[in-house]
Amino acid sequence: MPKPMQKKQRQQRSDPRHKECPFCDKGAKYIDYKDYPLIKGYTDYFANIRQRYYTGVCLKHQKMLRTAIERARFMGMIAYRK
Amino acid sequence: MTPVIDDTDLDTELDLRTYELCLLYGYPIQQKEEQDLLKEVEKLFTEAGGKQLMRDAWGRRGLAYAIEGQMEGSFVIYYYEIDPSKVREIDHALSIMPGVLRHMIVKPPKGYAMVPYANRLEEWLKEKEKLEEDREKKKEEALQKRITEKAMMKAKKVETDKKVESAETKKPMKKEELSTEIEKLISDDNLGL
Repeated sequence: MPKPMQKKQRQQRSDPRHKECPFCDKGAKYIDYKDYPLIKGYTDYFANIRQRYYTGVCLKHQKMLRTAIERARFMGMIAYRK
Repeated sequence: MTPVIDDTDLDTELDLRTYELCLLYGYPIQQKEEQDLLKEVEKLFTEAGGKQLMRDAWGRRGLAYAIEGQMEGSFVIYYYEIDPSKVREIDHALSIMPGVLRHMIVKPPKGYAMVPYANRLEEWLKEKEKLEEDREKKKEEALQKRITEKAMMKAKKVETDKKVESAETKKPMKKEELSTEIEKLISDDNLGL
């Protein structure tokens, strides 16, 4: 008799890939460029846009975030490069 | 017979769209100049048949990088309902206008709720301060907890040490008793060793 298949145990450590999108939780339909203190949190020290992998933002909202950041950068609210 | 639909009203309704204008001009500016500049901008829109929905003046803000040698500027945000074909002209006129550092005309998405952002910065700063205060409080509480736990552990250790010491002090007495008993046992002749 073959042994029954054992279920693979999930690793308990916090995996960055299993984060939830903070914008999806709020049900955001649009990310405003005027909301620049909020957007600033999604850029790193050198003012680059943080990767989705680390922030947990979904693709749909990452695209909105990118446009918002680019607009805010153009208006001088956020730096292009530090 | 084909029904005749009078779509002139429909057209006029469809032609109008809401646009958002973000305007940036230098901060050290005289009041009169500022008023003239804003009047000119508003005039552009009114000439194009626009209808102002909202005006949101942010006031003085620091810039992230120098624009035309200025590190400070003031923002004004307008919401207008205008004909989309006239946006290009306004955009061009704004790019030529002296005194304007940056401008951007954006089409907000459908169902966009116009919210004034003028006082938001202060709110954000307050929130930030609060968060920092909470963090510091938590840190202090955690520190105090650790200190009290350490003190408790020390007290427990001292108690256990005392018990051990008391037990050790009793032991030599027992040894003497033991030796006497052993001697008694040895001296016993009845033991069948």
